[in-house]
Amino acid sequence: MSQKSLTIALAGNPNSGKTTIFNNITGTRQKVGNWPGVTVEKKEGIVSKYGYELKIIDLPGTYSLTPFSIEEIVARDFVLDECPDVVIDIIDASNLERSLYLATQLREIDCKVLFALNMADVARTRGIKIDADKLSELLDLPIVFTIGNKSEGIDELLKKAIELAESDVDTSGKRKVKYNKDIENSISKLRSFIEKNSEISLPYKTRWTIIKLLENDKIVRERVLQKVGDQGRNVIQEVQIHRELLADRFNDDPEIVMTDERYGFIAGILKEVFTTITKQRIDISRNIDLVLTNRFIGFPVFIFFIWAMFQLTFSLGVYPMEWLDTGVNWFSVSLDGLLPDSLLKDLLINGVIAGVGSVIVFLPNILILFFCIALFEDTGYMSRAAFLMDRIMHLIGLHGKSFIPMLMGFGCSVPAIMATRTLESEKDRILTILITPFMSCSAKLPIYIVLTGIFFSAKAGNVIFCIYFAGIIIAILAGRLFRSTLLRGADAPFVMELPPYRVPMVKSLIIHMWDRSKMFLKKMGGVILIGSVVIWTLSAFPRNIQYSRDYIAEINSVRASYNTEIIAANGLDSQHIEKKLDAAIAELEMARKSEMMEKSYMGRIGKILAPVFAPLGIDWRGGVALLTGFVAKEIVVSTMGILYLAEGEGSNTLKNALLSSDMTPLSALAMMVFVLLYLPCIATVATIKQETGSFKWTLFSVTYSTLLAWVAAFCVYQGGKILGL
Amino acid sequence: MKQNHNNNHVREKEQFKKLFKQEHIDNFEERFKVFEIFLQTKRHVTVSELLELLNENGYQLDSSFVRDTLKLMCRFGFAKKIQFEDGPVRYEHRHLGRHHDHMICTKCRNIIEFEDQQLENLQIQIAAARGFHMLQHKMEIYGICSNCLKTRMHPMSLVMAKQGERLIIKDFTGGAGARMRLLTMGLRVGDELDGITSPSKGQMVIAVDCRRYVIGRGLAQKVLVEPRKN
Repeated sequence: MSQKSLTIALAGNPNSGKTTIFNNITGTRQKVGNWPGVTVEKKEGIVSKYGYELKIIDLPGTYSLTPFSIEEIVARDFVLDECPDVVIDIIDASNLERSLYLATQLREIDCKVLFALNMADVARTRGIKIDADKLSELLDLPIVFTIGNKSEGIDELLKKAIELAESDVDTSGKRKVKYNKDIENSISKLRSFIEKNSEISLPYKTRWTIIKLLENDKIVRERVLQKVGDQGRNVIQEVQIHRELLADRFNDDPEIVMTDERYGFIAGILKEVFTTITKQRIDISRNIDLVLTNRFIGFPVFIFFIWAMFQLTFSLGVYPMEWLDTGVNWFSVSLDGLLPDSLLKDLLINGVIAGVGSVIVFLPNILILFFCIALFEDTGYMSRAAFLMDRIMHLIGLHGKSFIPMLMGFGCSVPAIMATRTLESEKDRILTILITPFMSCSAKLPIYIVLTGIFFSAKAGNVIFCIYFAGIIIAILAGRLFRSTLLRGADAPFVMELPPYRVPMVKSLIIHMWDRSKMFLKKMGGVILIGSVVIWTLSAFPRNIQYSRDYIAEINSVRASYNTEIIAANGLDSQHIEKKLDAAIAELEMARKSEMMEKSYMGRIGKILAPVFAPLGIDWRGGVALLTGFVAKEIVVSTMGILYLAEGEGSNTLKNALLSSDMTPLSALAMMVFVLLYLPCIATVATIKQETGSFKWTLFSVTYSTLLAWVAAFCVYQGGKILGL
Repeated sequence: MKQNHNNNHVREKEQFKKLFKQEHIDNFEERFKVFEIFLQTKRHVTVSELLELLNENGYQLDSSFVRDTLKLMCRFGFAKKIQFEDGPVRYEHRHLGRHHDHMICTKCRNIIEFEDQQLENLQIQIAAARGFHMLQHKMEIYGICSNCLKTRMHPMSLVMAKQGERLIIKDFTGGAGARMRLLTMGLRVGDELDGITSPSKGQMVIAVDCRRYVIGRGLAQKVLVEPRKN
């Protein structure tokens, strides 16, 4: 038996707990955060319950159906165009008045609405009492009390939603905001103007369309023009006449007057259903903000938090990283002993383990970093960071809000670039997208740790902090340049809500970490594994190489000559001489492998790249590693693992292999600078394309960052050489 | 008489320039154009009529901008709002009396007339000393009247709010878009707010009820507030 399917949309103000309820209903683990704009794209989940297949849609938060930014447009368009069977309006009970504003607008679209009075527990502690029965009666719609984070009332909510979807109530007759005489007059005149003309068929319900046109809603106006064609222009003209009329009558723009009237309607409802018992309310968040956003203390505290985040990532991450490292080594050695020599063994040890193993050890660091970012998000500190960074962001003509994507960029650029949807100005968005990749993402972290760990062992933490910091500085400089050239624009009016501070839910933090680990392991099993195999194959073939010297003959002759020496020494010095022999053979062996590597396919690719990277102090292996980093930044480490490890006989760690190569601390630094700036990974490039919707900007982003990377690394390396480092 | 009239207009324009610049009002050039055209009108105009006149003179301006400018002009005493029973709102040029000097309160728009013979004489002396033949004079002193000063009832912009100051929102200026944003986010006239952080530059933090907002400086300038009495 096929189930009947229903679509249920979750709408509501930002931070009213939509995603928490969504997760509770669907059992999925969407990311929940405590800052406006966590959900920037609608999310779908399907559950079977009570004999129905329920498609639940989690919409981005909106304050009204008058959208200002992209994520708000996403939410409105879904409700309007997809016509869900039921819209559940999640109402923050402690912010009833404002929540009802969106509710009155949802009612105006004539869709079936159900209220979930969420966070009723918070409201109760604030001494707020809401008469739900009365509210339900006044607005003529079902209401369910829910507590999202304790998943109370969720089943009842679903039951009521199904009930409502199956009922055939006529929503158009339900109680709506009635505007004053003059506005209603204009609405009915416009309605008869439209109905007189049978050619006009509006894209949405008539009353709602008229109201939106009177409110000068640009998107609705365009849709009407598109759908109705020439007649549409007449409608718009007629609306314009009424707009002027009303504006003169009320001495204000009609949208403002209508908004006031809606609030008037709400005030009437509130009077009947809303009571506060205690007058004296203590707002803890306000008190915390007095300190954390303080004009003197706020910023230093913020810097301390960021510093602490990186310190935790490195110092605490070292221990589990060592355990993993030992594990990988043990695995590699025991596999070496178990398997007979073959191409497969070579592939497993020098390809897969060298490639994947060299990256997987960084899982703890990455988890700690994401844990810290999740803490910022869930406590509500994220928006405060945006406020504190505002002064600095203003240097490039951006609001502090643009710093939220940048801070997320420390984790991963893909969600960071998606997060720019909360920015209202198109130019601000593009500018933020262009500079966000300079925030070192977690995939670049392994590269830094490997290189600093080897070449700057004692000062590793500080060097990495400097690299991150350099990323921020360069982002700001580049932003400043673009702002004054390509993306000129004035400051847009700015207002952002600061969510209340909340104690983060352990469940939510675990979801963050689990998601991240899953993604990381998936990457390891997928793109990194394949990449490692490809790189190994390219470096291990062709098998039959024409060597410039006959190594085997040379080794034999060396062995023979030492053997005679051992015999001559008559057992006295034999151990010492044997050591010498081993060293001589190892040297020859290394030269042979090095030549083999250079003549492999990989080596040939590397040779082509070599001239590009030589001025940066990076050899062909490094060049190849950087090239493979386009697929995913972790692969840079994998490639280095495969290429450098294959050469150094006896040194089974990348550390020894790198130390014995030509790389110096200076060239390592140049390489890190290059990694910091050069083109983002393929997933990020795809996201940039999707979010800017422009091929031109994507190409620009890739080109300028790579050019900048080359120039910066060149300056570091050549400058350092001149200084004699 | 005609010349006299023009003289008045020139002087008013000077005052307009001085006052608007002193108060750092944005888009000065456009607002000045609105003022110039407004001065040329003889009757009571509505915003749309004025907009049409501006159009005829080749200025393409937005109606909500013109309305905002007219409101500012009322605030500074250049224009007066009138509305006949249920009709549209009209604005008229404020014709000030000829025979008196005036003190004009920019906050409550109250006009205080005064006459001082000493001052009159002094003006004649000054003009005479420079060989200037005086035909007519008009003396207007702009400021805040004693009433407004006493009760501190003048709305100030939110930008001036200090940390911990308890205020109430009195009005919004500026375009409809910005105001809609504030309204839908739950910031309305009559709301009581507390200053949380107000740096000398950049954004500020305010608290309304149990909500907190970050507001950009430009937008805060458009929110008019008054100290709250307890």
